[in-house]
Amino acid sequence: MQLLLVEDELEIQRFLKQSLTDAGYEVDTATDGRAAAELASGKRYDVLIVDLGLPDQDGIDLILKLRQSGVSSPVLILSARRSVDDRVKGLEQGGDDYLTKPFALAELLARLRNLLRRNLAASEEASRLRVLDLELDFIRRRASRGGEVLNLSPQEFVLLEYLCRHAGRVVTRSMLLSEVWGMRIQPDTNVVDVHIYRLRGKVDIEGREPLIKTLRGIGYVLKDR
Amino acid sequence: MSSKTANPIMHSAAWRISLWATLAFAIGTMLVFAMLHRFVANDIQRRSDAWLTGEVAVLGDVAGRTPKDRLYGRVVREVAELASREVPNKLRSNGNENDSVFFLQAGDSGSAKLWVGSGDGTANLAAIRSTRVLPDVPFDLRVQGFGSPFRVASVRIEDGSNIYLGLSEHDELHVLRNLRVRFFTLWVAIVLLGFVIVFYATWKMLGRVSEITEAASRIGQSDLSSRVPDTRGNDEIGHLARTLNHMLDRIESTVHQLHTITNSLAHDLRSPLTAIRGKLETVLASDVREDHAESIVSAIDELDRLTEFLNTSLDVAEARADALRLSRVEVDLDELVRGMIDLYEPSMNDKGIGIQIRSAGSVKVLADPALLHRVIANLLDNELKHLPVSCLVCVSLRADDHMATLTVEDNGPGFDAEIGRHLFERRVKGRASRGHGLGLAFVEAVVRVHGGSVTAVNRHEGGAQLTVTLPLCEVQKREEPHAFALLNG
Repeated sequence: MQLLLVEDELEIQRFLKQSLTDAGYEVDTATDGRAAAELASGKRYDVLIVDLGLPDQDGIDLILKLRQSGVSSPVLILSARRSVDDRVKGLEQGGDDYLTKPFALAELLARLRNLLRRNLAASEEASRLRVLDLELDFIRRRASRGGEVLNLSPQEFVLLEYLCRHAGRVVTRSMLLSEVWGMRIQPDTNVVDVHIYRLRGKVDIEGREPLIKTLRGIGYVLKDR
Repeated sequence: MSSKTANPIMHSAAWRISLWATLAFAIGTMLVFAMLHRFVANDIQRRSDAWLTGEVAVLGDVAGRTPKDRLYGRVVREVAELASREVPNKLRSNGNENDSVFFLQAGDSGSAKLWVGSGDGTANLAAIRSTRVLPDVPFDLRVQGFGSPFRVASVRIEDGSNIYLGLSEHDELHVLRNLRVRFFTLWVAIVLLGFVIVFYATWKMLGRVSEITEAASRIGQSDLSSRVPDTRGNDEIGHLARTLNHMLDRIESTVHQLHTITNSLAHDLRSPLTAIRGKLETVLASDVREDHAESIVSAIDELDRLTEFLNTSLDVAEARADALRLSRVEVDLDELVRGMIDLYEPSMNDKGIGIQIRSAGSVKVLADPALLHRVIANLLDNELKHLPVSCLVCVSLRADDHMATLTVEDNGPGFDAEIGRHLFERRVKGRASRGHGLGLAFVEAVVRVHGGSVTAVNRHEGGAQLTVTLPLCEVQKREEPHAFALLNG
């Protein structure tokens, strides 16, 4: 997987490149918009990671320029700005994503995988989804484990669906909040965890292998093997 | 409200100004006419008096010189009839019958010696005898059987009798009446026309003012970059518009400066925070001893709290300075609150706290949904953190009087009395609180930027009550076209 990292702060660039390489990506770096445009025109990247505060131009202008010149790879925007610009929101609707600094590396990696997957299989219109012995029926909105129907609330079904669609990958609390509940908030209470505990109580029934794992300080993962 | 807007024209300033201006104009023109009328009437009278005294003197002279024989009557009559043909202001309308002039010679008592005119003259003589007559001064005489009074001049001749020459004022009055009728018609037309012109002019003028007001209030509410229109004129309104725009320039630059400061502050703090957090995470990912990992995780936690504090305090600062950028859309508060409660209910139940919602259905407000999410999350976080077990939180939502009211109340211990008054100030928190003390300050600042208000009280029956009001969507929509509809009329 080829990534282009556009970030002018060398400290940040260095540790990001390190972590991304450790995670198995091939990373090219650029410190300004001009260099980034040159790199992007010469090679096809799977994801671009773009910081908004570049020395020579605004990150959004760079993204729009790249889009115009035919670069269609998804973009993960990094922003040190506080309020999220309407233009960024516009990009988000186009399938791109954004993270405000400072962010958790796990969050970055999770969102990155999310973008890559979205890019590979944009349409996910199957009526059923299987993860190990867990089966989701989207038409009847029903989940079952090993043939045994689970008694889930509609909210819990949506939560489980999200975990299943991202099976084997980390999902963070803020990903769950924005994707499942549709709100970008950072509650300083354990509201998301309680939902997961309840779901776990229903999915990981006695005598079966626990599927929903907690990664401390990062988020959750639904095992797929 | 409907009675006030029933007839907007009658309640406009233009209408009142036009009424007063028209009243003043009407009274003024009426006074001018009264003076003109008086002048014309006096002038006509003066002319007929001059003619009368001249003629009566001639007649007196003729009567004096003519021998008192049988021909006397004929001569004087001829002269009198001749004179009556030269009557001034004569309209020559009523055929040959000349009833506008009479000639009368009579002594102090007895019947008339000589009479020229229509009828037999007894009524005229009787009227003259009953009037107190000053010599050589023409006087008004009302005679029975005649519609109009006569103007009469007299002269005394040598034989002791008086000669009276009377001229009907019929024509004079007719002229004056014509004058009055014409004036009145013209006056009504002019006053109406004046009213229409004044009304149109002030309506236009004040229309420009309300256009400026409308634009200014729109700018105050949402974006600072637009400007008041109508700066072309060199009159007072043009000056007003330019002054307002000048003021807006300064406000915009101040707000822009604030944005720049907060943005660069945020940026300058965030970059090192990102780097520190990233490095700590990288260390954590490599093999470290359990106890070291523990402290690294807690350092990351502290960093996250610092970040949250930084974000919120900058938001509060911007909101307080009216510089918070809002992307307003129509939001259904009912739906939004229910979504939030779905999110919070399990955690509350886990802690043994009950939560219920009372809402009659959709309540639409024009707001920034991301900020509203954070506001309500703040309120519910507060309840979750501070309420003891087995308390009940009740969230109620209603719409009345152009405002949406959201009340969050509980039956817990309530707010500390000592901090009650400073609840919405930054960094104020109860002694037991572990938060950064910005939650309610943030709530208050965001709600205020949306044009609403927040109040917090301890309920009589115990527990805290927080009330948030926000302007309803429909009100804002209704006001704008209303104001413009008036201007274009």
